[in-house]
Amino acid sequence: MAVRRKLIKERVPTIERPPEERIHDFKEVNLGYTFELAVKEAERCLQCPANYAPCIKGCPVHINIPGFISKLVEYRDDPDKAVKEALSVIWACNSLPATTGRVCPQEDQCEMNCVMGKVGDKINIGKLERFVADYAREKGIDEELLFEMVPKIEKKGQSVAIIGAGPAGLTAAGELAKLGYDVTIYEALHEPGGVLMYGIPEFRLPKDIVEKEIEKLKKLGVKILTDHIVGKTVTIEELLEEYDAVFIGSGAGTPRLVNAPGVNLNGIYTANEFLTRVNLMKAYLFPEYDTPVKVGKKVVVIGAGNTAMDAARSARRFGAEVTIAYRRGEEDVSAREEEVAHAKEEGIKFVYFVNPAEFIGDENGNVKAVKFEKMMPLEERDARGKRKIKGTGEYVTIEADTVIIAIGKHPNRLIINTPGLEVDKRGKIVVDENLMTSIPGVFAGGDAIRGEATVILAMGDGRRAAKAIHEYLTKKRENQNA
Amino acid sequence: MYRILEKEEIAPKHVKYKIEAPHVARKVQAGQFVIVRAFPNGERIPLTPVMWDREKGWIVLITFVRGKTTLKMANELKPGDALLNVAGPLGNPAPIEKFGRVLTIGLSAGIVEVFPIAKALQEAGNEVTSLHVTPKPMVILKEEFEKAVSRHLVEGFEIKEGWGTKEIVNEIAKRGAERVRKLLSEEHFDFILTVGPAGAQKAVFEVVREFGVPMHADLHPIMVDGTGMCGSCRVTVGGEVKFACIDGPGFDAYKVDWDELIHRVGFYTDMERRALEEYLKSLRGE
Repeated sequence: MAVRRKLIKERVPTIERPPEERIHDFKEVNLGYTFELAVKEAERCLQCPANYAPCIKGCPVHINIPGFISKLVEYRDDPDKAVKEALSVIWACNSLPATTGRVCPQEDQCEMNCVMGKVGDKINIGKLERFVADYAREKGIDEELLFEMVPKIEKKGQSVAIIGAGPAGLTAAGELAKLGYDVTIYEALHEPGGVLMYGIPEFRLPKDIVEKEIEKLKKLGVKILTDHIVGKTVTIEELLEEYDAVFIGSGAGTPRLVNAPGVNLNGIYTANEFLTRVNLMKAYLFPEYDTPVKVGKKVVVIGAGNTAMDAARSARRFGAEVTIAYRRGEEDVSAREEEVAHAKEEGIKFVYFVNPAEFIGDENGNVKAVKFEKMMPLEERDARGKRKIKGTGEYVTIEADTVIIAIGKHPNRLIINTPGLEVDKRGKIVVDENLMTSIPGVFAGGDAIRGEATVILAMGDGRRAAKAIHEYLTKKRENQNA
Repeated sequence: MYRILEKEEIAPKHVKYKIEAPHVARKVQAGQFVIVRAFPNGERIPLTPVMWDREKGWIVLITFVRGKTTLKMANELKPGDALLNVAGPLGNPAPIEKFGRVLTIGLSAGIVEVFPIAKALQEAGNEVTSLHVTPKPMVILKEEFEKAVSRHLVEGFEIKEGWGTKEIVNEIAKRGAERVRKLLSEEHFDFILTVGPAGAQKAVFEVVREFGVPMHADLHPIMVDGTGMCGSCRVTVGGEVKFACIDGPGFDAYKVDWDELIHRVGFYTDMERRALEEYLKSLRGE
């Protein structure tokens, strides 16, 4: 146990690049902690016991948060040792900490009920997690831990196919590989990573970090087949002939479109297309990279979730004047606070209570404006706690030469057409309490079952599914041996 | 990595690649496509397997050299090299049913995609006439068609001095429309299928509509992932938004919003030209 110290109420700030500098490039905005700063922040932690700690309860994968934080303080005189100890605590529950440390909504999860919040600032758990992962990667400490781990893995002689190399699939793959299963991931795109590669921008999650997290999985023996579209290249039935179990982590890749006239005008992107061009295909480096993207002078982003913030902030980096248009009010913005704050700092305008009614084009079929209906809030709230809204019959037109639609996504359509695979009316794959689908031996998790959620919830599903698959395959082994 | 087994320039601007891609070869059907990435900084481009061998695991792709990627592939790739990515097969197979007398039309390089479909339609018991509308030096796959279908017609024309892409495509549209009008005036067809530039397809469609023959058009909107994820390839069909990559690429020509498609395929023309110019400059050592 760490020694009780005097309470330090204020958070140790992380280093953030100023907005006027960062809007000119795609480099990371937040630079995180140094070891000294991380230790200072770690010292603020009250070290709640694990059976009580609200942070562990709030974490979808239940990382022993006070446990890893205490290692930083305990071994403060030996940074490498401190980080190695902290990382092994994190790895017991989470194999992608450099990613989650950056993109998790900590304020709604681990940090939400942090006891320190009662007297001062909550502990900056996200940035501490990120620090441990980054320091370990830079110093090769993660490789060291991996080398120690790999020889201890006992091969089970059974194999699992994972569909989709996004957060759910990568997590399930890592856990199953550690348990000794032969794991092969089938990925449709040319790079593994799923939304971490195509969706989340470089300035929030550098792609070389994702690549390195995936390299670690390969060292655990995970095979990745890119360019394989399950449902086209190979079917789930065929996978079941070759593998002992299958996990579907195919995500929610189908963009929702605004149902308004003119939606197919040139210059109207779905957030998925815009972000895929920018992130995965690196269109911000055109013509050094071949894939183009067109960002006009005036960009309107429709929607106010994290994807909308990502799209808006990316567009801003092309020099555009960017407006986020949301049909509800500020209180119902679903993006993380940090993302909204960053967007505002970067000069992005927010317009509330407007719902797109029509996209107006010029004579060449290019968008030039969006006509919005003004909405008004009602007292009543919907199932998600958001205030209901209704149209006023009044309209407002906002000029735009680029429009990005970021109003949500549906599960991928190719996979859900599998015969025998039960899906609900929104296309979400139906699973039981063990995440098993209607096809025995086929499990699913992440956005494929949730519709649209977060990276960490997908990772949580990946872990749960790995555990369920392990139990399923253990039984199968025992039955075969009996 | 997908090894290039053979490479051949079969006509000006037309390069044939035989590629080792067993995962595609074992599943592909006529009308489906693949997404290819050839270079580390490269774009993803849709191409159509023209022929394949399921057992040996190869497919044949034929590129029409028109932008940076196809030119760079033609210049820099050799047999023994590899394509970085060949994803697929994607899209839905063409309707291979017994229609009766079928006319398949390849406008310009669209003929490449027509080949497996025309062959499959003939094998399905149809009497297939195939038509290739093209500048004369770019007559390709003639012998292959003659073996595969009942009758193969070539509507060839000379490229006049000073013509650019625009004039050539206009001529393809004009010649295609005229030849189809003549054919439909003289003969009965039960089903027509076209592949080619959107403007030329539209011109042919307008003639076909006068005769009321059912027509299926394979569309080529701009794609990125090709798996239904981005919506770049959206087209309006029968008043509804469809994604060509997973709902198509073929649609009922009578329901397609042709003008919208023509606008959409031209959206990046200026940037495509710039990428090509920069590449040509780099070749000249500038």
